[in-house]
Amino acid sequence: MAKVISVKNLTKKYGSLIAVNSVSFDVERGEIFGLLGENGAGKTTTLEMIEGLRKPTSGEIAVLDCDIVKHRDAVKERIGVQLQSSAYYQFLTLKEILDLFASFYLKHVSAIELLKMVELESKAKSLIGSLSGGQKQRFSIIASLVNDPEVVFLDEPTTGLDPIARRNLWDLITEIKNKGKTIILTTHYMEEAEILCDRVAIMDSGKILVMDETYKLIKKAEFPFSISFIDKKLAQKVIDELKQFSEVENVFGKESKYTLKIKNQKNMNEALKIIQSINPESLTVGRATLEDLFIELTGKSIGE
Amino acid sequence: MWKLFASDLKMLARNRQSLFWVLFFPLMFTFIFGLFFGKNTNLGTIAVINKSDSQIATGLVSALNQSNIFKIQSEDNLNTARDEIKKSTISAVVYIPSKFGNLPVDPAKQVEIIYDPGSQLYSSLSGVVGQYLTAVNYQIQNSKPIFSTVLEPVNNRKLTYFDFVLAGVLGLAIMNSSIIGIGVNLAKYREDKILKRITTTPVKSWKFILAEVLSRLVVNFLQIVIILLVGKYLFDAHIYGNVFIIVPVALVGAFLFQSIGFIVASFSKTADAAQGMAQAIAIPMMFLAGVFFPIDSLPKWLYTAVQYLPLAPLLRILRGVMLDGSSPFLVPKNSIILVSWIIVALLISIYKFKLSDE
Repeated sequence: MAKVISVKNLTKKYGSLIAVNSVSFDVERGEIFGLLGENGAGKTTTLEMIEGLRKPTSGEIAVLDCDIVKHRDAVKERIGVQLQSSAYYQFLTLKEILDLFASFYLKHVSAIELLKMVELESKAKSLIGSLSGGQKQRFSIIASLVNDPEVVFLDEPTTGLDPIARRNLWDLITEIKNKGKTIILTTHYMEEAEILCDRVAIMDSGKILVMDETYKLIKKAEFPFSISFIDKKLAQKVIDELKQFSEVENVFGKESKYTLKIKNQKNMNEALKIIQSINPESLTVGRATLEDLFIELTGKSIGE
Repeated sequence: MWKLFASDLKMLARNRQSLFWVLFFPLMFTFIFGLFFGKNTNLGTIAVINKSDSQIATGLVSALNQSNIFKIQSEDNLNTARDEIKKSTISAVVYIPSKFGNLPVDPAKQVEIIYDPGSQLYSSLSGVVGQYLTAVNYQIQNSKPIFSTVLEPVNNRKLTYFDFVLAGVLGLAIMNSSIIGIGVNLAKYREDKILKRITTTPVKSWKFILAEVLSRLVVNFLQIVIILLVGKYLFDAHIYGNVFIIVPVALVGAFLFQSIGFIVASFSKTADAAQGMAQAIAIPMMFLAGVFFPIDSLPKWLYTAVQYLPLAPLLRILRGVMLDGSSPFLVPKNSIILVSWIIVALLISIYKFKLSDE
């Protein structure tokens, strides 16, 4: 597969603060690549250097085989950018905004087509202020498509949205991918990355901690399997037995709810046998999530 | 670029807050000063109570009527008139007692003026009455005044305070709409990350800025024309200068204030901060640069300083053109101060105003 973005040893310093510390990765044509991490991990700075908005302190960035620092305007013609929490002109209608932004590019897509894509064609003549949060975010994504870009950058596209609006956006992002565009997005929602991204890089303090295809990453977790169950009178003897095969944790102070973190399939089978013998009230068998991996890697939980 | 320009104009027309500064605010001043000092000017209302039927008394009443400085209301009862002064419905009463001027037998000799000390009109009123009585005295004594004054205006042009203020309001309008308009608008664009969003596209920064400047100049042009039309046709302002000189001079001023607006936008992170900064610049200038009154009546040390404020030379040039019909380059010092400000403001704004953070 062709590389659409290639980043080598990218570093950004602000005085003594190293916001991005020697980051390297490639993004391939047609995939959704996710940069994950907490606020301040350096995701946005990395993204904005690739978009040509910030100058790297050192390192190389090639977008669509062009050096972004040398051929910034040529690259800007071919990429679409949605900024984190950016607003649009409050006194222009949606269609006027799209037409205006389209006029900045050589290549245009019809504003109405874009609005139809997110079911906002009835709002073509409305001002941005009349949209709901989810609609605004959908609009802000299609506004990054006015030039029919080959690569689309989405910076925290779903932050602050309600669950339904988020699911809506996931569909939209998948639809964009299905049109053959490459997408690079940042998020701090692990489940979002799991659902949307083909590949994920987890960032912390300006560095990439791990990077791989999403399902492989999860397998890399120290405890890829998990079992949760509820039992109100669990004997200490059973707990000791379980501890042979797994790490036993009480979940968030609920005394009767237990989670087992398990290293391999064999241990999981053994543990399951024991649990089935005590016949617990509720039993869930699952895989580790990106969130588990993230907490494992950074030693802290998201939102801390 | 033209699409940006057209969009900017559209937004200016739809933005009520900016319309306030652009049109409503200066027109409000034009109307206020026009109503006070435009055509049919009078200083206030007075009541005249004439109890005498002598020729001298009726002569005084008609002299007051013809002076056209006051609005006259006739009244019978002195006490009701006094009450009206207290209620501020009138500013003074001229009381002519019965038998006043009743020559040759035993006349009442004094006209009484009762006035509200808070009103400025009494000095003019006592002047008019005094002048009339002096003339009557001379006539009766059959003598002629020996010393007198001759008034000689520099030219035969009729000028009123309204004409002076109209030029000031013109300067005020372009200053406010440019400094506040550009400053607040662009700071808001920065706050909303619209500027940053623009930098993600291939559009050149100078095109974005040029579109902003040109669209504002169109608005300034409309502002100037509307203010001049309202001043001239609604309030009979005397404009002696050529409109094709007045408008370009005002637009040069607008350009200067736009540059200052860009400086305000460069130094403020939020629209609120820009609003504060813009007003901190515009409001003192409104009073100190001579919008409403001539600044040479300020204490000398203050005048020495404020005559160099950006608005001050612009107003001197505008007044020269509008009131005297003189050339905008008549006083080189004014042109030099104005051009220097433009150069300084332009350099700072070019150096400091950036669309992106980096």
